Amino acid sequence: MTHTMQRLTRRGLALAMLVSTLAAAPIHLAAADAADAAAKQRDLIKVLQSDAPKAQKAITCKELAIYGTPDAVPALAPLLEDPELASWARIALEAIPDPAADDALHAALGKVQGRLLVGVINSIGVRRDANAVGALTERLKDGDADVASAAAEALGHIGGDAATTALRQSLADAPAGVRGSVAQGCIFCAEQELAAGRNAEAAQLYDAVRQADVPKERLLEAIRGAILARQSAGIPLLLEQLRSPDKARFGIGLRVARELPGVDVTKALAAELEQAPTARQPLVLLALADRNDAAVMPVLHKAIESGAKPLRLAALDVLQRAGTVECIPVLLQAAADADADVAQSGKLALLKLEGPDANAALLARLPQATGKARLALIQLAGERHITEALPAIVAAAGDADAGVRAAAVTSLGAIGEAPQAAALVSLLEKAATSPERDGLEKALLALSARCGAACAPDLLPLAKSSDVALRLIALQALAAAGGPDALAAVAAAVNDTDDSVADEAVRTLSTWPGNWPEDAGVADPLLALAKSGKKASYQVLGLRGYLQFVQGDRQLKDDERVARVKDLLPFIKRPEEKRVAIATLSGIPSTGVLDVLVALASDPAVTEDACSAIVNLTAGELRNTAKEQCRTALQTVLEKTRNDATKQRAAGALKKLD
Amino acid sequence: MNPATTPSSEPLSQPQSRPHPAASPLNRRRFLKAAAQVGALLAMPQIVSAKVLGMDGGVAASERIVLGGIGIGNRGSYDLGCFLQEPDVQFVAVCDVKEARRQAVKKRADDKYGNHDCATYRDLRELLARDDIDAVLIATGPNWHFAAATLAANAGKDMYCEKPCTKNIAQSLALAATMRRTGRVFQAGTQRRSLPNFAFAVHLAQTGRLGPLRTLYAQPAGLKAIMSGWLPPEPEPPKEEVDWDLYLGPAAWRPFNKRELDGFNFEKGGGFMGAFGGGGCLEWGSHCVDLCQWANQTDNTAPIEYEPTGNQLHARYANGVKLVLRDDHWLPLGSCPVRFEGDTGWVETADNGDIAASSNDLLVGRGPKIGGYPADFHIRNFLDCVKTRAQPRANADVACWSHITCHAANIALFLNRKVTFDPKTCMFIGDEQANRLRSEALREPWRA
Repeated sequence: MTHTMQRLTRRGLALAMLVSTLAAAPIHLAAADAADAAAKQRDLIKVLQSDAPKAQKAITCKELAIYGTPDAVPALAPLLEDPELASWARIALEAIPDPAADDALHAALGKVQGRLLVGVINSIGVRRDANAVGALTERLKDGDADVASAAAEALGHIGGDAATTALRQSLADAPAGVRGSVAQGCIFCAEQELAAGRNAEAAQLYDAVRQADVPKERLLEAIRGAILARQSAGIPLLLEQLRSPDKARFGIGLRVARELPGVDVTKALAAELEQAPTARQPLVLLALADRNDAAVMPVLHKAIESGAKPLRLAALDVLQRAGTVECIPVLLQAAADADADVAQSGKLALLKLEGPDANAALLARLPQATGKARLALIQLAGERHITEALPAIVAAAGDADAGVRAAAVTSLGAIGEAPQAAALVSLLEKAATSPERDGLEKALLALSARCGAACAPDLLPLAKSSDVALRLIALQALAAAGGPDALAAVAAAVNDTDDSVADEAVRTLSTWPGNWPEDAGVADPLLALAKSGKKASYQVLGLRGYLQFVQGDRQLKDDERVARVKDLLPFIKRPEEKRVAIATLSGIPSTGVLDVLVALASDPAVTEDACSAIVNLTAGELRNTAKEQCRTALQTVLEKTRNDATKQRAAGALKKLD
Repeated sequence: MNPATTPSSEPLSQPQSRPHPAASPLNRRRFLKAAAQVGALLAMPQIVSAKVLGMDGGVAASERIVLGGIGIGNRGSYDLGCFLQEPDVQFVAVCDVKEARRQAVKKRADDKYGNHDCATYRDLRELLARDDIDAVLIATGPNWHFAAATLAANAGKDMYCEKPCTKNIAQSLALAATMRRTGRVFQAGTQRRSLPNFAFAVHLAQTGRLGPLRTLYAQPAGLKAIMSGWLPPEPEPPKEEVDWDLYLGPAAWRPFNKRELDGFNFEKGGGFMGAFGGGGCLEWGSHCVDLCQWANQTDNTAPIEYEPTGNQLHARYANGVKLVLRDDHWLPLGSCPVRFEGDTGWVETADNGDIAASSNDLLVGRGPKIGGYPADFHIRNFLDCVKTRAQPRANADVACWSHITCHAANIALFLNRKVTFDPKTCMFIGDEQANRLRSEALREPWRA
């Protein structure tokens, strides 16, 4: 038996073992546990035998599923006749691993009808009680189609010669409404044969179902089973499905094409691909590829080289997840294809190539590559971060071809190092068109963000350009790079003669990357802006940026934070910024904060914000370390606030202080 | 501690790495529009090219996937929205035991198509009997997921089934066996399998970028019971309004009580009494444990030991990797977090789409951020597989073993002791109590 078949059947066996062992698993309870369980069971049985409400009996059944022994069966069995408790009783009876439970279910076959009988039969099937085959065989002819159907499926679960014989007989003469379940039962039996390695017997059963007048779903299952049971000998039947005009049969063929193991199967499918209708070729190819057989690779290459467009795209889709270094030539050819979809798909497959040698193999092709293939390799160098390609990319950035230049610039953004910042700046200064400048700007920003302060000196000439647009780009690149040189240049640009540059410099400072404490140097220029920015908007942005610094820089001690905010307060004019200041203060559990907040509470524009902050702060650690200051602050809240909820909270906090 | 180099499982209040420059959250449609550049596609789950599947420039009516919906409440409505936006889907019928939901979904479908064609059913068997329906969305409460999926497969329908998909170990195995036997396409609603941040973290774990894997962390969202019980009877509404018998379906009988009508919690994880509901472990475990299984390349097996430890559960795979279910000590990255730790690095991600790692180098090539755990990528993967007959990402075998892991963890929690499990036989070793908890009878007339 092949590995795949073993895997498939092992899982079937696991399920079969699971259900069978419910009835046969040995008891391995420690003595103390066993005594506890016995005592618990006695109590549970008493409940079932009492006048307890059904709700209690129901839950008791569920507990007996864990603790029940044969002793519990006599108490459970009568419940099988109770429509409200039968399902609960079966939970316990299905779980108790003793023939007594089988006997109870067997006995119930003669006592209940309709749905309750169906339930009992279902449980017998779950327990795979071979002693019930005779009784279930009789039920195959029951006038109630639901009962007969349940019996058929239960027989299928039980399996074995007697059940199989009964089901095969019934396949011929069962009423139409029951035949589907009889077929299902036959298929269950066939699965057991297959799991046991009796492939010929399984194939016979599947064939019996195929030849019977059964619902289409069962027919498809039987076809699948018949192919798998025959293994390689099932290839003709598999190909028959793949050639069928019927969509469902074609569909089951595609599934089995993935399941049936063997190199000869792969070969047969590859041959089938050649003659399949164009519309079906991609689906057959995808199934073939899912077989994870190395023999498929030449088929994929051929499909890419000479297939119809959907087939080419399907093959490229496969190589996006399964491509290897050996695929590079065919993928490069696809990446250079005139068809945009094929080219895009080829590039993506190259981009996703895995393996330690992939980058080296791609790089090796760059010197000889021309046209679209060269373009693709330059793009890939950046996207795959092939740093060894940097010299070639730098050279290509000065290429005569605009497309090559653009691709090289993008790749420089991705893999360039600090020295390449100067090259990009130089190219920016010479860029003649807007798209070219846009590409260079993106690359410069990406490189600056990656290389950081090391590239800042190379950006400074751009900040001094006579071209306003270049100075604006410089500000963004400097912010991305960071560091003292960059910060100084941006701070200087606040006084730029051009308003748009000065505005951008202020915005850049106020949102300076908050990588504290490395960026703490931004505090001084922000404070200067807050105090004496030449426009009101500069002052506002300065204030907000500075308060962010106060909040963010963890090197500042709490008292220092409070002092900085306190110093700033005289320069804050608008309530909006006062609220930001209060929010900043409310996160500082320091005694000094309370005095500042009390002062702010006198400002009618922010009284409520200040009061709320006081109440929040005094609920924390401060109430232990600064009791008196808390009391004073809370009394201020009671005086000032007009918010009932705040007042109530303040009163409560005061009480706790007392 | 240097967060750039040291794996850690200590509680942290802030991500240890600087946030990746955030792209705005994307759903699949916006993503495809924005992804004209090849590079942006690198970290994305693969989607079969529309042109391969004959969808270039529109879809002929004959090529559409005809869809029905079963149990379309809150989550189902979201899923349905994802399906309706796909051009190759035609939604034609809804089944729900609740009249109000049937009518709401019908109105939505009819409004979309400008007709009155969406049929309504109270009994799922009637919907499944329709020959013209190719696939169904199953978004009932978890009580029905397994039984509905089995019925759908036996009726020849493919299905997208919300999680948790099963109530116990036996159902998990039967689900996988049924899908194999019938050849149906089954996708569990564990959509994080199709999201790039989770896929990227898994990729790091699988390709050795973290060093040999040591510990996987998953959030189960509550290692405790969600009770399903027998509440006091209330007057039962007419069947046309709420069909209580069908609502109960495979769950053991109990009288009508409107508090039980929350399908989200009803019988989740087996609905065991006392401390055993399993709802919590299955609620997010079916997502997070599933991702750990994927990272560990153990999609076809389950851990061999499970032990409740304080407010955590510790499990161990045969390959020595440890799985920890815990609800705290997570970075603030959103719901459904997972963390994978190896000898040389760690990665953590969750529903806001951010990824934190022990080193920024690990984050190179992580692709665009997609927050908010959208399901549309996952649903597209399902629809593609309906056409190609390939196995979707969260197919029945994958779902089977991630659910078995959760159920085994639940059993250890219920028994409040260590249990040892043999994935080959799917039995607990020398432990009858645990073995009895692997399955539960379905109420008549339902069966697997």
